[in-house]
Amino acid sequence: MPFTEEEIKARVQNGYIVESPEEMTEGYRKALAIQLTVQADTELMSAPSYWMAARHAPSANTQVSAHAIIQDELAHANIAYRLLEDMGISKQKLVYEREPHEFKHPYGFDQPLDNWADLVVANGFFDRAGICLLSDVHRNTSYGPLKRALVKVDMEETFHLRHGEVWMRRLARAGGAAKEILQRSVDWMFPMTVEWFGLPDDRKRHSGQLEYRLKGLTNDQLRQLWMSSTVPLCERLGLDVPAHFDEASQSYVLDYPFPCQYDASEKRWLFEEGRITWGQVFERWKGRGPMNEIYVESIRRSRGQVSSWLN
Amino acid sequence: MEEAVYDVFARKRRAEPLRHIGYVDATDDALARVYAWKTYDEENWFEMCVVRRAHIIPVNRIDGPYAARATGRLGRHAVEGR
Repeated sequence: MPFTEEEIKARVQNGYIVESPEEMTEGYRKALAIQLTVQADTELMSAPSYWMAARHAPSANTQVSAHAIIQDELAHANIAYRLLEDMGISKQKLVYEREPHEFKHPYGFDQPLDNWADLVVANGFFDRAGICLLSDVHRNTSYGPLKRALVKVDMEETFHLRHGEVWMRRLARAGGAAKEILQRSVDWMFPMTVEWFGLPDDRKRHSGQLEYRLKGLTNDQLRQLWMSSTVPLCERLGLDVPAHFDEASQSYVLDYPFPCQYDASEKRWLFEEGRITWGQVFERWKGRGPMNEIYVESIRRSRGQVSSWLN
Repeated sequence: MEEAVYDVFARKRRAEPLRHIGYVDATDDALARVYAWKTYDEENWFEMCVVRRAHIIPVNRIDGPYAARATGRLGRHAVEGR
């Protein structure tokens, strides 16, 4: 006997673990499919983004570690797409038959990473965001197969983060041009990651992901969690970030209008133009960023040719 | 290119049980071995095996990814175990 929507919500809030698509209600299935698609697309699109940046690696060792991270990201994507396949959603269609703008990764992975500093800050900021989001899912998800799959993912994302933070420290300590270019990367990627966590809680009235216990923390809680690691890190490294800890509210507060507009061609946030609406943010996200088509095509350009050789 | 799903089992040390650690899609057994070894490289495994999912015979469940065969020949005997 399948659950009703109310039954499954009550059960998962009491610790029930869903183990198969047959147990899902339509609402649960839809919410999980969206979550997994965002997760898979994000992991997938990080690969070409990091891969194009890895050519800036300063040594053979750093090339190896950068490419090891890319290999991990592709494996994580593959794992999430396979979970979708078990729910009857075709991995081949998702990867090979969507238009580039239909992918559901965050806007940050539509941007070019132009130098080694961009890559290591992406590891330090974007992968930290990934850890905040996925470790919360790992701890709280009511979907058993995803909980198990995230053991590997969490372990490896921690290595990516360490790679990013170690290199950020190294560039900061070098000072001079190294620190300047690091600061430029921080300047565009800090607000990019803050925005990544999405609508503030007071704007988000209904969350299927929380009701079906597909995650445990709200957008604002996750944003705070990310800042609670990232702001002190940057402060220790002598890097400026537009946020500070507010003693009165015991939380991190942004020192710029949020949300605000982004000039992708200049890789610069337009703080001076003031606050925009979330509608305008969604419009920018929907329009996708400058590398969207290039990244998507780079992961599937040879498929047709190889398939024709084999068939 | 038709691919089948293979489930991946591994253990880190002697005396540990084989544990289900993930899955890969592959066109044949040889590629499944390679994909599993390269995909699940987060540990220095003592033993790793792959099993074609279609070859897994469910005993007591009639749902889930292993239950494709349960809806056929074995379905008559399966017992729901929610």
